[in-house]
Amino acid sequence: MKVKMRGCLIAYLGLALSLTGCWNSRELNELAIVSGIGIDQGTKPGEYKVTFQVVIPSATATSQGANSGASPITIYTSNDHTVFGALRKTSKQASRQLFFAHTQLLVLGESIAKSGISGVLDIFERSHELRLNTAVLISRDTSAASILKVFTPQESIPSIGLSKKIQNTSNVWGENQRVDVFELINKMTGEGGFTVSGLRMIGNVEAGKKKSNLEQSDVETTITMGGQAVFKKGKLVTWIDGPEARGTDWILNKIIETNVDIDAGEQKKAVAVNVLLSRTGVKVELREGIPVFHVNVSEEGNINETKSSVDLSNTEEIIKLEEAMEKLTKAEIEQAFQAAQQTGVDYLNFGNELKRTHPNAWRTVENEWDQIFAKGTLDLKVEAYIRGTGMRLAPFMSPEK
Amino acid sequence: MMATRTTKPKKSQTEDSNNQSSPLTENLDDNLQHIREGLGNSLDLIIRYFQTIDDAPRIAAVYMDGLTDKEIVNEFISHAMSFQTVNEEGQKLTTSLDIYKYMKEKALNPGKGKSVTTISELFEALLSGNTLILIEDMAEAICGNTSGGEVRPVSEASTQVSIRGSKESFTETIGVNISLVRRKIKNPNLWVEPMTLGAVTQTSMAIMYIHGIVNEDNLQNLREKLQEIRVDSILESGYIEQLIEEGGYSPFPTLYNTERPDSVAGNLLDGRIAIFVDGTPFVLIAPTTFFMFFHTVEDYYQRFDISTLIRLLRFLCLLISMFGPAIFVAALNFHQEMIPTPLLINLASQREGVPFPAFVEALMMEVTFEIIREAGIRLPSTIGQTVSIIGGLVLGQAAVQAGIVSPAMVIVVSLTGISSFTTPAFNMALSVRLLRFVIVFVAAFMGLYGIAILALILIAHLCSLRSLGVPYMSPIAPFALKAQKDTLIRSPIHFMKIRPRLNNDNSNVRKKVVKGKRVNTNES
Repeated sequence: MKVKMRGCLIAYLGLALSLTGCWNSRELNELAIVSGIGIDQGTKPGEYKVTFQVVIPSATATSQGANSGASPITIYTSNDHTVFGALRKTSKQASRQLFFAHTQLLVLGESIAKSGISGVLDIFERSHELRLNTAVLISRDTSAASILKVFTPQESIPSIGLSKKIQNTSNVWGENQRVDVFELINKMTGEGGFTVSGLRMIGNVEAGKKKSNLEQSDVETTITMGGQAVFKKGKLVTWIDGPEARGTDWILNKIIETNVDIDAGEQKKAVAVNVLLSRTGVKVELREGIPVFHVNVSEEGNINETKSSVDLSNTEEIIKLEEAMEKLTKAEIEQAFQAAQQTGVDYLNFGNELKRTHPNAWRTVENEWDQIFAKGTLDLKVEAYIRGTGMRLAPFMSPEK
Repeated sequence: MMATRTTKPKKSQTEDSNNQSSPLTENLDDNLQHIREGLGNSLDLIIRYFQTIDDAPRIAAVYMDGLTDKEIVNEFISHAMSFQTVNEEGQKLTTSLDIYKYMKEKALNPGKGKSVTTISELFEALLSGNTLILIEDMAEAICGNTSGGEVRPVSEASTQVSIRGSKESFTETIGVNISLVRRKIKNPNLWVEPMTLGAVTQTSMAIMYIHGIVNEDNLQNLREKLQEIRVDSILESGYIEQLIEEGGYSPFPTLYNTERPDSVAGNLLDGRIAIFVDGTPFVLIAPTTFFMFFHTVEDYYQRFDISTLIRLLRFLCLLISMFGPAIFVAALNFHQEMIPTPLLINLASQREGVPFPAFVEALMMEVTFEIIREAGIRLPSTIGQTVSIIGGLVLGQAAVQAGIVSPAMVIVVSLTGISSFTTPAFNMALSVRLLRFVIVFVAAFMGLYGIAILALILIAHLCSLRSLGVPYMSPIAPFALKAQKDTLIRSPIHFMKIRPRLNNDNSNVRKKVVKGKRVNTNES
């Protein structure tokens, strides 16, 4: 009897197993791996134009005997009032279900950035498939859709190429910083404004979306980093470039590594210093309603190149160079600060800092912070150290020659 | 007797078995007839008659050809017959009793001649290679050990090969096997208990242990288990293994077997018991723990750091060979987000033309691999290589080129296969091989969730197993900190002061090891 019961139980359990099926089992060749998403303003007001860059695995460089003629990506575009609606609507065009867990890049078109991006990010937090560590970039002077269409050299999948580009330049140049969806949402919910790096297209889409674009050493259409977009209340207000952008990153303590060309005595911009370590400490206080921003930058670097005849084996010369480096950094940061004050948007994170350290003082200025920020003064201290001179000391050109 | 022979075989068999326990008669011819009939007039039964002078009683020597050494038989018989030439008291020995006594007490070396009184004893002695001398009018036979004949010499271990360490391995002869161990442990406390099992085969067996080190409870437990066995035949130690195993339906083996004398010696010194079975070079070791299957004797011969690394590698390979294809299938079907993007695109491009789901693909390759392996084992070694070349290279390559399987799957399956070969114990490797299919199946159904559940069930099952009462997973579960020195890792020899704890036995302190010399401690 007991044995019979046990037999029945095992049989029932076994049958139950077959009922479950493999409900979310999906084969790799039933998936359309989305590498990048672009969102632009739709044709009708309130509509999004969502562009998906989908990987075609059989045509990627990694696959054996990849058909060199075929494009490794394809583009699907749909219009809908919601991002999710658009992505489901894409099924009308795509033979496989879109799979978002490997989305590398989110490009927000300038059009949507100007009208406000707060609405489009919800799905990234809500969906289990979309990732919060997807890099976000803003297309500048062009649409997100056209950015996603352009092939990039070296990386067969453009989205991966672009996300590597932003990572690469963030690491060694510092004018841009990589922002992912999670950070962007944090910034949007914080005080003041924020910046997101931009992408710029050089050349035209029609040439760039052809694979033949890559069949030349100097590609016709290419996509480069293009400054940083300044957002205020989720809307793009202006762009900052060059020293302003890098100065901003300096204040935000986002400089990982960069290069500064400093003056050596009479010779302007004659020594290249590779900044290897930079730390920024920010303190904000309110003095009689006027904010004072204490910014302390400490940077260290090596001399990597010189076209001057300064004797680098001389410690005093090095100290002079360090002073020049401090001056240069200071100028850049001040320029960035002034630019920020002019736009009237606190994208330098000072507001958040004040709120964090002096919550009571913050409450008094909360409502007109942008105006108060514009009146604030910068108390900037820069300490620069040159730690090494590379593999030689004095340059091979002696001062006499 | 003639009447019984003409009856139906079934009846004669029962009668024979009755006769076998009956005592010998005083009639020599009757006795010999009994023997002949009992063995069915077998060809290898040899009976030699000796009709000495005049009225002396007739004598017969009986032995089995092939089981005995001819020279020893001749020597034995000539010694026994020496009563004819040696007349100590000046008179000839003429009565059967006198001859019998003389033979037993004087002519043969003391202890060499034993007396046998029943037919069953006689058969047992005869078939163990003894020579029996029967004398007219005597109801007793003299038996002397003359066993010998053709046996396989001690050769190199074929299944448990080692780079360093003794090269000898057990043979099919139990006496040789016991002596191989005794040569390694020259200690009077190395005790061997003989026993015979198998109603038909009458297989000799022996249990060996070191008195004073072995746990008496375990020993008694084993003795009882062995005595309870009622079976017709024991042809290999595998029979014993299956008959005394606890948890007979478990996929995991709960008895260790080895063909290496040094492995047996090492386990005896740990307080374990060895079970020798005549006719097989594989000796069983009890009690067994899970981790024994991943240790080799060579671990102790090489330096500890190297041995530790190799042991850890083996455990890694165990995990790969168990879960490798399952995790691959689960990741491919359920957890694509876990795979790094470039790898995913790579895998996707490989799978692009493959018409089967990943699970079917994995199953196909695994089954193919098992076929190749099985074919390779059964074939002579020269052809075996051909099979592995055809199977491995041609089939694997062709399957990929034909687009039936993806190259990544071939890599996973071959890595799994190779990993399973690193398990030193073949029977454990077989269990893992079996379980791998179950795990792949579950992975295809439920992904990593299923793998985790099955792994939990397996761990619970492993922890519930016991071998001779010793927890199978010891010393991990139950956890014994001191024993960790020789479980996953192998610490230096002078750290290993205690033996593995087998049952609640506290006398597990080894002789203190001092580098270069041994010093006695009073604990043991």
